[in-house]
Amino acid sequence: MALPNQQTVDYPSFKLVIVGDGGTGKTTFVKRHLTGEFEKKYEPTIGVEVHPLDFFTNCGKIRFYCWDTAGQEKFGGLRDGYYIHGQCAIIMFDVTARLTYKNVPTWHRDLCRVCENIPIVLCGNKVDVKNRQVKAKQVTFHRKKNLQYYEISAKSNYNFEKPFLYLARKLAGDPNLHFVESPALAPPEVQIDLAAQQQHEAELAAAASQPLPDDDDDTFE
Amino acid sequence: MASTEGDHREEEEAPHNEDEDTGAQIAPIVKLEEVAVTTGEEDEDSVLDLKSKLYRFDKDGNQWKERGAGTVKLLKHKETGKVRLVMRQSKTLKICANHLVLPTMSVQEHAGNDKSCVWHATDFADGELKDELFCIRFGSVENCKTFMEMFQEVAESQKKKEENKDATAAAGLLEKLSVEEKKTEDKAKEEVPAATKEEKESKSEEAEKKSEAPAPST
Repeated sequence: MALPNQQTVDYPSFKLVIVGDGGTGKTTFVKRHLTGEFEKKYEPTIGVEVHPLDFFTNCGKIRFYCWDTAGQEKFGGLRDGYYIHGQCAIIMFDVTARLTYKNVPTWHRDLCRVCENIPIVLCGNKVDVKNRQVKAKQVTFHRKKNLQYYEISAKSNYNFEKPFLYLARKLAGDPNLHFVESPALAPPEVQIDLAAQQQHEAELAAAASQPLPDDDDDTFE
Repeated sequence: MASTEGDHREEEEAPHNEDEDTGAQIAPIVKLEEVAVTTGEEDEDSVLDLKSKLYRFDKDGNQWKERGAGTVKLLKHKETGKVRLVMRQSKTLKICANHLVLPTMSVQEHAGNDKSCVWHATDFADGELKDELFCIRFGSVENCKTFMEMFQEVAESQKKKEENKDATAAAGLLEKLSVEEKKTEDKAKEEVPAATKEEKESKSEEAEKKSEAPAPST
């Protein structure tokens, strides 16, 4: 469901509510999907931020309106007021902070009061970190409450597509739904004048001396 | 990615079955029909295909930001011979870069990392043209070298093509001009007295619009 000032689209769209304690990585996860970047800096979300996120599937294009809600109580805003008409949800916790897992039942309860019978994915984020406080076998809440569970890492992209894929399959009732190549449209011709080209080259030379954010890691796919 | 995935769990733990569905049975809310999938790459041949990580330069923050990790391709159009760079994010298969490789472009080494290189492009990944500085990082120095060489070779080959095209186009234009000159001249006299006789038809039309435009505001 779009906000009043947001454009509606002519393909299926779903309101996705993302909840969980502050600092578990909800905003970083959404941003990763939106722009590809990995934001290390922590800035608490105030109230809610809504971002449209499109995926291409073998059943056409779909959109999730991601309602990225504040995890910190003092910035909670309308709190469960944001959950209304939610069609699917992600509950996020941080496997390196035990308390964030302990609080999962509270988030789940509040969510289910407003949204009955919606598909929910529980995500244990930051599994790239060596010293975990919550081990995979200690995560049992999803079995009691019939949620899907994924271990994810917004940093390494481990399983980062799985929550969306799971929710899309459930919403469409199609276990074979999968992501496909989005069409790469032909880029229009551009004319670059000499002055602009010289400016680009100067900018490029300056940029080339800036370090990459994750230079140390060579384990990408 | 296999090596990182292995690190996520300690050995004594029973592996958590990723594909096990523990979710509740919930009635679907939409019915979706299978559709024909088009990659947009059907009329092109891949001349390069490498795993890599792409970054874009954030000018405001003066820093490189990740754009995606996946497969970068150089695609050559079967008819026009034009080559573009297309990169897709792995798993979601979304586009993180999509731009033509032009003769004016050149790829350069990244100062601090011999597995990466940089270039400027007017990119169309989001369906609108944007000036971007890109940096790409490969798993090995060799792959980076392969990419740079191929990129440069393509840019050079487009240069030759452009020259040929320019020559042909100029010849064609001259021919057309001599035929249309008289017509243009007459038309220009009638409608836009200010326009000089030498101007081509298209130019005089433009001049017409320009001279008309300011009128209502004065």
